[in-house]
Amino acid sequence: MKPAVSTHQLTKHYGRIKAVENLTLDIPEGSVFGILGPNGSGKTTTLGMLLDVINPTYGSYSWSGSASKTENRCKIGSLLETPCFYPYLSAVMNLKIIATIKKAGHDRIDEVLKTVGLYERRNSQYRTYSLGMKQRLALAAALLSNPPLLILDEPTNGLDPVGIAEIRDIILAVAKLGKTVILASHLLDEVQKVCSHFCILDKGRLVHSGPVSDVSESEQRVELGATDMELLRETIKAYPPLIQSEEEKDKVIALIPIDKVSEFSQFLSKKGIIITHFLTRRKSLEKQFLDILKEQQ
Amino acid sequence: MRRLFNIEWAKLKYHTPFWIFAGLHIFILLMIFLSAKFFLDFLAGKGEMINDVIDPSRIPVLQFPDVWHNITYVAGFMKIVLAIYVIISVCNEISYGTLRQNIMNGMSRGEFMISKFFLILLLSLSAMVFLLITGLAFGFIYTKNIELHEVIKYVEFLPAYFLQVTIYLLVAFLLALVIKRTGLTMGLLILYTYIVEPIIVFRIKTEWIKNLFPLRSINNLIRFPFSKYLLRETQDYVALQDFGIAMAYTALFIYLIYLALKKKDL
Ligand SMILES: Nc1ncnc2c1ncn2[C@@H]1O[C@H](COP(=O)(O)OP(=O)(O)OP(=O)(O)O)[C@@H](O)[C@H]1O
Ligand SMILES: [Mg+2]
Repeated sequence: MKPAVSTHQLTKHYGRIKAVENLTLDIPEGSVFGILGPNGSGKTTTLGMLLDVINPTYGSYSWSGSASKTENRCKIGSLLETPCFYPYLSAVMNLKIIATIKKAGHDRIDEVLKTVGLYERRNSQYRTYSLGMKQRLALAAALLSNPPLLILDEPTNGLDPVGIAEIRDIILAVAKLGKTVILASHLLDEVQKVCSHFCILDKGRLVHSGPVSDVSESEQRVELGATDMELLRETIKAYPPLIQSEEEKDKVIALIPIDKVSEFSQFLSKKGIIITHFLTRRKSLEKQFLDILKEQQ
Repeated sequence: MRRLFNIEWAKLKYHTPFWIFAGLHIFILLMIFLSAKFFLDFLAGKGEMINDVIDPSRIPVLQFPDVWHNITYVAGFMKIVLAIYVIISVCNEISYGTLRQNIMNGMSRGEFMISKFFLILLLSLSAMVFLLITGLAFGFIYTKNIELHEVIKYVEFLPAYFLQVTIYLLVAFLLALVIKRTGLTMGLLILYTYIVEPIIVFRIKTEWIKNLFPLRSINNLIRFPFSKYLLRETQDYVALQDFGIAMAYTALFIYLIYLALKKKDL
C-alpha cells in the first residue's frame, strides 16, 4: 500500500525538551492509523507538524500526490487537541468561514450538523455550548469538506458514552469509503475497535509501528459463561493446552493457542457444560501497549 | 483575494466591538470638528470684541482649501482608536486558537496576513471616506465663493491620511502578533506613541534623524497646519521625501509581519 503521508526524520525540540525525535513513519493510504503513547509523548506535536502549525526543528514529510501543502490542508479534516472557533458566532457562521477557507461549498453544513447532533442548536453562539457540544462542532468542521483524510487528536475528549460510540461509527463509515484516518487517542479500546494500523510513541521516539492484527498471532482470548460456573472453571483449568485463565464476576477468560478454538469448545461440551456465553477476543491492545512500553524501560 | 476578503468580513460582520470602535472613531472625530465649528461661530458672534486681535473671517479653518489639511491633521491624533480594534482582532485570533485553526483548515500564513490587511484597509479607507464627506460638508458650509480649483487644492492630504492610518495599523498588527496579549499590546502602543517616541525625538537635536523615527515619519506626511494663520512658514504639501520614508516603513512592517507569522509555532 502506498503511503498517504510519510515522515522523514521529523524532529521537534523545545529547548532541551525533545518533543519528537527522528520520526520516520509511513501512514498507508486507506488505513485507520492510531497514534498511541503516554501523555507528553509527542502525538499532538507530530500532528501539528503534519498540519503546518508547528515548524519542525529538523526533518520533513510529504503527502502523496503533487498538490502544495496549503492545497493539501484544504483537503484534510482536522481536529487538534481543543476545538477552536469564534465564540461570538453561531455554529453555522463558524462553519461558513471554514467552508470558505477550504474552498468548499456551504451545502454540506446542515448535513454535518445533523451528523454530530447539533442541528437543533445550529444558531446558538459557540460560547454557549457545553464542552461535548464544542467537541462535536469540531468534528462537524473536520467532516465539512468531505475530506479524503481525517486527522483527529483525542476526538472523544469530553464526550458522553453515546458520543463516543457515535464517533466510532463515523470513523468506521469514513474508513469504509476508503478514506484515511489518523487518530491519536488514549482510549485503547476504541483504537482497537476502529484502527487497522497503529504506532506507539514514547518520549518523542517511535517504539512500535504495524497493523493492529499483529497483536495476537499465536494466542486467542476466549470469554466464557455457563449455567454452572463452578464446573466451567474447573474444566477450563483441566484443559491441557490452556495458557492462562482469569476469573471475572460472571465469566472466565481463557487464553489458548489460536488454532485450538473449535477443539476447546468441543472439549467443554463433551464435559457436559452448557455454555451461555462464548466470545473470542484478540489480545487487547491495552495489554500490548503496556507490554511494549515496559520493554522500553 | 475575494475569498480572503469574504473570510475576514464574515469574522467582522457580527463582531460587536468592530462596530463599537468604528462608531467611536467617527463619533470622536465629529465631536472635535463640531466643537471647532461652535468655537468659530462663537468667535464670529463676538466679532466686535476681538476684532482688533483676530478677525474670525480671516481664519478659514473649515473653508476650502484649508479644510483638507486641517481635518486630516486633527484626525491623525485619533488613529489609536482604530489601532486598538486591530489589536483586539489579532490577539483574539491568537487566544481563541482560530489563527492556528485557520492555518490547519487550509489558509497559508501569507493568506492569513493578507486577510488581516483587508481589515486594515477597510478601516483606513472608511476613515478617509468619512473625512472626505466631512471636509466637503464643512467646505460647502463655510466657503463663501466656491471655486473648483480651491475645492480640490490640498485634497492630496486625504490619501496622505489614508497612508498614515494604514501604516499605524500595520504597527498595531505587528505588535499584536509579537506580544499576543490584548491589554499589554494596547498599553505598549499607547506608551510608545504618546510618551516614548515623543521624548526620544525631543531629545535628538538633528532634524533628519528625528524624521527617521517611525511614528514621527508617518506624522510628517501631514505637517502642522495652523502656523500659517500666525503667518509662519507652513509646509502645505506632502513632501516626496516624507512619502519615501513612509513607503519604506510600509515595506519594512509588512516584511516583519510576514516574518513573525512564518516563524511562529501556533
Ligand atoms: N509550546 C511548547 N513549549 C515547550 N514544550 C512543549 C510545547 N508543546 C509541547 N511541548 C512538550 O513536548 C512534549 C510533547 O507534547 P505533546 O503535546 O506532543 O504530547 P502528547 O503526546 O500530545 O500528550 P497528551 O497525551 O498529553 O496529549 C511534552 O513534553 C511537552 O511538554
Ligand atoms: Mg496531545
